[in-house]
Amino acid sequence: MLLSLQDVHVHYNKIAALQGISIEVEEGDFVTLIGSNGAGKSTTLRTISGLERPSAGEIRFKNQSLTRLPPDRILKLGVAQVPEGRRVFKDLTVLENLHLGAFTRGDQAAIKSDLESVFGHFPRLLERSQQLAQTLSGGEQQMLSIGRALMSDPILLLLDEPSLGLAPIVVEEIAKILLEINKRGVAIVLVEQNAELALDLAKRGYVLETGNVALQGEASSLARNEHVKTAYLGI
Amino acid sequence: MELFFQSVINSFIQGGFFALWAVGLVLVFGVMGVVNFAHGELVMVGAYTVWVLHSQYGIGYIPALCIAVLLVMFIGLLMERFLFRPKQGDPLGGLINSIGVLFILQVAALVVGGTGPAKQVAPPFPGTLIIQEFLRIPNQRLFSIAVAVAALLLLWFFLTKTKLGWSLRAVALDREAAALQGININRTSMIAIGVSGALAGLAGALMAPISNIYPTMGHNVIITAFIVTIVGGIGSLSGAVLAAVLYAFLHTFVTAYFSGTIATMCGLLIMVLVLIVKPTGIMGQKVSE
Ligand SMILES: Nc1ncnc2c1ncn2[C@@H]1O[C@H](COP(=O)(O)OP(=O)(O)O)[C@@H](O)[C@H]1O
Ligand SMILES: [Mg+2]
Repeated sequence: MLLSLQDVHVHYNKIAALQGISIEVEEGDFVTLIGSNGAGKSTTLRTISGLERPSAGEIRFKNQSLTRLPPDRILKLGVAQVPEGRRVFKDLTVLENLHLGAFTRGDQAAIKSDLESVFGHFPRLLERSQQLAQTLSGGEQQMLSIGRALMSDPILLLLDEPSLGLAPIVVEEIAKILLEINKRGVAIVLVEQNAELALDLAKRGYVLETGNVALQGEASSLARNEHVKTAYLGI
Repeated sequence: MELFFQSVINSFIQGGFFALWAVGLVLVFGVMGVVNFAHGELVMVGAYTVWVLHSQYGIGYIPALCIAVLLVMFIGLLMERFLFRPKQGDPLGGLINSIGVLFILQVAALVVGGTGPAKQVAPPFPGTLIIQEFLRIPNQRLFSIAVAVAALLLLWFFLTKTKLGWSLRAVALDREAAALQGININRTSMIAIGVSGALAGLAGALMAPISNIYPTMGHNVIITAFIVTIVGGIGSLSGAVLAAVLYAFLHTFVTAYFSGTIATMCGLLIMVLVLIVKPTGIMGQKVSE
């Protein structure tokens, strides 16, 4: 088991956002969390990364507890996140953003080769490497945010709604790259409101409803589930 | 005409000081989200350190200056660790703590220097550079402006060309996103306040031989730093430097032709106008560079 959340509760000033969720991710896995707005998907990812503290429950990564670690330590263990809304550093250049993704790493040769692989995935970032991140389009910023996360050489990549607000053709491009990244052995947890896309990409899925896991299983069987079909796939 | 040229020169020298005062304030505000009201007192401590070490104990000016820089940097680090860190996410708490430090340092200055007239430090670089008969620049001021500009250039290099500098700007732009890159926020805060303290100590040590030294000399520093910071765009370092030079021109000329009090009133008036008309300041965005 690479990552496990056991009965995790998270509160925002006494309001429960997660009410005891349990999630498991295997090495090299591709897991999706789907659910409507406010279900607790972002909170789940934020808690894994250490941005929120669970009020109860346990999070383990590679047999180590993450529950009390700060975000920078969690990243160093190999968990990177592409946060909701991209959150690139707008006043810094594309290249500076990417280097900050590798902030904790010292091996210059390895950083250089990862930089080349990011530019391989996203040639447009190479073209714009000296531009300020704020001059990029939404899709390019999303690519930068993903590239930045990859620069930490993660074992597990968490992505929070990477398709939000992007043109279908860009979404397709990003989807293709996520599959490539996963093929290279990086485990992925993908949060999406676009359930159709997410269930298409992932091996397994969890359906979150008001801070609980309502359903879980193989992505393909979730896609055939009557409840999922009516509530999330609009069929 | 003579007064005019002399004022231009004085403006640049003043601008160097104003910028040095303001960038430290901006850095701490940007990275830590704290308004450090004691920033002016940090400058004052730098000046007192030089007065004590150089004038009282006869230690060389340059060593005294270096000690002032290190001492004030150390005070800044203590403030971060014990006063600001426990108040993370509580800007008001941090501000109130910094006001406490302001009074403590003023009292400490009274204890060290006693009451009575303002202290003065004899210029270690005496003499005056005379250009074309009508321009006179005391060597001490030349030294100050050269060091101030060098320090500002070094800061600019650090923030724009080094990975550590980018990490400071990243924290200022988006703390959470920075933490997600593995940047340790507490360590970054210590770097920010360390640099801010060092610059404040340096400013104080440079001022010591050319101005009066007294416990409340930080008032003028903090008022000026606020004006410059707000006009320049809160959180924008390049905006602060630009605003510092512009405000120095205004301040020097109004002082030369009218009076210092009117000059400061003009500055405050401009600050209020900026707050009303363009609250993001002349360099108008959020934080950094
Ligand atoms: N910073 C916050 N403060 C208070 N409540 C929050 C905060 N962030 C999220 N919530 C609440 O927690 C619940 C889960 O939110 P979130 O995890 O963002 O859901 P999702 O990502 O699935 O849309 C929602 O009810 C939301 O209103
Ligand atoms: Mg969300």
